[in-house]
Amino acid sequence: MTTEDSRAQYLASGASPGEESRDRLDLIRDVLSTGATWAEAPPQVADALLAALAVEGAPMSVASEPSSGRWALVLAGAGTLVAIAALVLGTVSVIQDEGENLVAMSGTELEAAARGEAAFGPTEAGWWIRLDVTGLPPAPDGSYYEGWVWSDDGEGVSIGTFHLRGEAMPVVLWSGVPLAEYPSIWVTLESEDDGPEASELIVMTGRIPQAPEA
Amino acid sequence: MDREVLERFRIGDEAAVKAVYDRYGGPVFALSMSILGEHGLAADATQQTFIKAWRAASTYDADRSFAPWIYAIARRTAIDLYRKRARVVVSDNVDVVSFPIGLETVWEVFEVRSALDRLPDEERQVVKMSHFDGLTHVEIAQRLDIPVGTVKSRSHRAHQRLIEMLKHVEEA
Repeated sequence: MTTEDSRAQYLASGASPGEESRDRLDLIRDVLSTGATWAEAPPQVADALLAALAVEGAPMSVASEPSSGRWALVLAGAGTLVAIAALVLGTVSVIQDEGENLVAMSGTELEAAARGEAAFGPTEAGWWIRLDVTGLPPAPDGSYYEGWVWSDDGEGVSIGTFHLRGEAMPVVLWSGVPLAEYPSIWVTLESEDDGPEASELIVMTGRIPQAPEA
Repeated sequence: MDREVLERFRIGDEAAVKAVYDRYGGPVFALSMSILGEHGLAADATQQTFIKAWRAASTYDADRSFAPWIYAIARRTAIDLYRKRARVVVSDNVDVVSFPIGLETVWEVFEVRSALDRLPDEERQVVKMSHFDGLTHVEIAQRLDIPVGTVKSRSHRAHQRLIEMLKHVEEA
């Protein structure tokens, strides 16, 4: 058995003849067993990247290059990507923070001290929305907070619940409906004894700027 | 990575940027996951990494290896995002930001994932089922409905390739 075979065998099984140090191979074996190593990016990351770059246009240093192969023109009429680009356009120009799509969240008169931001982005199952908020107290026992996205037609869709009792921010919520059509983000205080509808106790609000017409 | 692709990446060519993402999107996402530990944040960090890389593409020297360049951007981006998140959590003491235990192995995660993504799919699958799922060769054979001997040969070839591709990690 060659040294290489021996190391490959050790990497595969963790057992091999020989006394040489295996520390680095053990580290690689640890990395191979770690979830992060195998994690797959949602396919929407690539689409969102294309859209974001289309919005930005070509790098300044190559402005004189032929444009036929460039993002902006190639993607200008590209169906689904335009929809994503339109959303990015609607947010990047107004609220982009180093590439993140951010919405300012503010407390209502019920929780005037609450403030923060909601970051959002596309994911495999729809959209993730990450709330980074300060000043919002833990929900009292028997109650909880619920995140909502609302359309301008008054239709609300729940994006998840949380209570902040012993939890650290941020809270990640999920939306299965397009945020371009449901641009308002609310947080309500709900009672465990009530039904699934949104209560009138709105504690925080934010709004994604409307995307321009494509 | 092909020098021509990298040259085209520098000028913002669509196909080249796609090729770069196809090659390095996995390692960048794995690195981001190892630091941030959350799919949504890691996806965000991955997207930001490639946007930053694209913005800085004209500064990239195509004579140098691309992997360390994109690795440095990805690591910094994920750490910045982690700090930003941690700052919200510990808002009373913004200078105190502790990192997850895995931070010292992010380079290894990046390199191992890069190597895994270059394995043939059937070999990569066996490696994953063995190391990540903790299955024996017999169990893998049953799951994939293939002979045990095939699993063993795929595993052997895969680990030989990994040893070869990860020599620099082993010797670091």
